[in-house]
Amino acid sequence: MIDLHRTLDHLSFSLSAWGPELVLCAGIVVLLLSRMVFPLGRYLPFVISLIVCCLALFLAGPWNGTWPIVGENSVPIFSGLLAWDGLGAFLKTLILGFSALFVVFLWLSGFPKPAHATDFLVLYLGAVVGMCVMVSAEHLLLAFLGMEMASVPSYVLAGFDRRARQSAEAAMKFAVFGAASAGVMLYGISLLGGVLGTFSIPQMADQLMLLAASGDYHGQAVILVLSSLMILVGLAFKLSAVPFHFWLPDVFEGAAAEVGTFLSVVSKAAALGLLTRLVLGLLGYGVLEATNAGVLPIVTFLVVTLSLLSAATCTYGNLAAYGQNNIKRLLGYSTIAHAGYMLMPIAAAVAVLFRDASLARWAIATLLFYLVTYLFMNFAAFATVTFLRNAFRSETIADFAGLIRTSPGVVVCMSLALFSLVGLPPLAGFAGKFAIFSSLVFGGLWSLFVIAAINTVLSLFYYVRIIKTMVFDVPVRDPLPQVRLASPKGIFLAVLTVPVIVLGILWQPVFMLACRAAGYPW
Amino acid sequence: MFSPITPAHYLFVGIVLFVTGMICLLTKRNIIAILIGVELILNAANINFIAFSSPVLFPKRVPPLVLDGQIFVLFVMILAAAEAAVALAIALHFYSRFGTVDVDQGDELKG
Repeated sequence: MIDLHRTLDHLSFSLSAWGPELVLCAGIVVLLLSRMVFPLGRYLPFVISLIVCCLALFLAGPWNGTWPIVGENSVPIFSGLLAWDGLGAFLKTLILGFSALFVVFLWLSGFPKPAHATDFLVLYLGAVVGMCVMVSAEHLLLAFLGMEMASVPSYVLAGFDRRARQSAEAAMKFAVFGAASAGVMLYGISLLGGVLGTFSIPQMADQLMLLAASGDYHGQAVILVLSSLMILVGLAFKLSAVPFHFWLPDVFEGAAAEVGTFLSVVSKAAALGLLTRLVLGLLGYGVLEATNAGVLPIVTFLVVTLSLLSAATCTYGNLAAYGQNNIKRLLGYSTIAHAGYMLMPIAAAVAVLFRDASLARWAIATLLFYLVTYLFMNFAAFATVTFLRNAFRSETIADFAGLIRTSPGVVVCMSLALFSLVGLPPLAGFAGKFAIFSSLVFGGLWSLFVIAAINTVLSLFYYVRIIKTMVFDVPVRDPLPQVRLASPKGIFLAVLTVPVIVLGILWQPVFMLACRAAGYPW
Repeated sequence: MFSPITPAHYLFVGIVLFVTGMICLLTKRNIIAILIGVELILNAANINFIAFSSPVLFPKRVPPLVLDGQIFVLFVMILAAAEAAVALAIALHFYSRFGTVDVDQGDELKG
């Protein structure tokens, strides 16, 4: 009987800690039913989704008590399938905060026509549940399920623009590559689970440390390396890391800009959260007893792989962005480059994990902080592109020439977002990049630091080219369309741009929150 | 007369399926054939899961993945069905726009 009581207690606690996801699930059901009950409510789906996202955000946010520290005293929920801790809670807050803004954004941009809004939002909220599972998974089953729950609706969203040929092509490429990489990842999971004898990440860490302590991998090293590389394939696909990036520019160009926004911001955040959980979780977050000699091969392998991945991704993204004429495609390559930057702190965290675990937590905190700044600057850039697309019916950069003559406010917002993406002070991007670079210095990854610095300079030119076209070039369109700042769309842009400036100057509160989430003693 | 079947036999079948699926993915240009390749890979993983969690194959000790592997297989089967449904719908959509299911015909997006 005592056992039953304990189980019920655990279940009720788990359900309460899983509040945001439950709200989202209930919201999906309400959305689906609302169409039957109120068939004519044009904007009802947006209102319902906004309420659901805000409620979930309220439940997930940092305002209710303190977060347990990931890996140290993280609270297992659903008998250890998921964990409730700072890392997951912070990323959930980020994802749900984005979702609330995203619903307003969809409403303003008018992309899913009101008749199709329910379908779009149901798929979107489903993907959000998947991403929330990804960032709190403590078990490979949930990690895989979360990834698929986030991916499969994204394939449909990429093809949502039903009249466009390009959208169909984008969805096809996305689905085929996504399904293939998920299959490879699953095979890797089956091998890793078989070798280590469990799928639970903390238990896998125990097994791995035992193997490392014995110093003798009994010929299992090959399987460990192979299976971890296979799992990395699935994550690299979601992160669009080189060499699994080729889908992203095509999908961004073919799919609607709104879908690109979602794929470039929160989808990356969730994938990075899962990667952090897997990589650091399998090493026990540096909390477990470990003999340095035994774990050295594992650490070296992970640091080298992640560093190569991030350096290649970053450099490729920045070089390929030159010579792009379609602004969505250019932002797609910029997304690839930023995925590279955001992989760097994970490599740094692994490098210092067994030397100084608190520095590894610092590295995670810089990643979390960068994700917050990235959310605002990239969202602002994509929102501008979307509103310009509505006004111009075009996504070619040259068509936006001389935009400053009719819409100065929008050009200022776009310029701030792009300068922030470069990383110029005093904008948010600078604070974020500075934080990431600090983690590379602490991690002793000097070569990666140099590559990141060179890349920052490289990226300046293609971002500035957009601004130059908008400000100095002679307009090619006559009459030149206008997006006024004193309109709902303009105000939305301004709301996204203000944090880009504020986070660059008053970065401390958010950075402290990120440190608390990652468990770095501030 | 016969040596007993060990987990290694199952893993070998899994590897054969995985490699077949990979070859299918890399050589076929028909969306349906590519999806068949994906299913082969998923089922290769399923065979691994089952092999690692079968008490019959590990008579002398507890299998490494006791129930986890079998539960995993159930989820993967559901997930494969969901993914196939979505991917086939997208393939149909692609067909209605391009009049073919050859992935190489979808070449309007590049650069």
